[in-house]
Amino acid sequence: MANSRSLSNSTALRDESVLRRVRHLGSARDGLQEWRLQRWTALALIPLGLYFAASILRLATSDQVTAAAWLASPVGALLVILFVLAALAHALVGLRSVLVDYVHTRALLVAAELLVRGATVILAGASVLAVLKLFLGR
Amino acid sequence: MERPLSPFMFPTWYRFQLTSVLSILHRLTGIALAVGSILLAWWLVAVAAGGDVFAATHAFITSPIGVLLLFGWSAAFFYHLCSGIRHLAWDAGYGFEIRDAYRTGYAVLTATGVLTALTWLYVLLA
Repeated sequence: MANSRSLSNSTALRDESVLRRVRHLGSARDGLQEWRLQRWTALALIPLGLYFAASILRLATSDQVTAAAWLASPVGALLVILFVLAALAHALVGLRSVLVDYVHTRALLVAAELLVRGATVILAGASVLAVLKLFLGR
Repeated sequence: MERPLSPFMFPTWYRFQLTSVLSILHRLTGIALAVGSILLAWWLVAVAAGGDVFAATHAFITSPIGVLLLFGWSAAFFYHLCSGIRHLAWDAGYGFEIRDAYRTGYAVLTATGVLTALTWLYVLLA
């Protein structure tokens, strides 16, 4: 079984046919990757977040030239991109675990997860593009 | 008979516990920070766009509501950071005794207050 795919990753049809899954017994047999992702990003976000918080709270109310200069510098651009990606990946895992806890209708859960995933991807894309524009255009 | 579900019992049925309140706060601040990432992306895009877009964003951020949001973001961020470190310690197997849970809980609240205050002192003086 070591190399076989986990039960919940096989086809939906097969999932439904397994009695203990129909009765919602036992573990889902996956989720460790997600658990790890949440912890790795949490660790990365300790230094990245402190750097970002110190910078953004000072710069959020500054003029455009000062803010643009920060995002155009190599260190600023790199750390902001890493912060945004780590924060959104971390947020995605967290928001999904909240949804799983409180949304009990299958269709609603799938819809909400899609919405959260889509929003996260768009926010990540927009943020990275914005920083790259400033970095490459300096 | 309608029975209340466990997490929602504590305002009426359970005695106030620091531990459960901090746990719920960790989630709430997490959700708030996720919503805040929309504002963050908006600000980054506004800086990149410049011109009128930045002027409008700048006017919003420097308005009383904007400053309040920024302050709320910083408090939520520092709380989630400190509380998250407490969670990582639990993941590593430390601090499960009830006495430790209370001590680290108060430490998280203190650290949140100190970090938020120090940051804004730095922002306002710099």
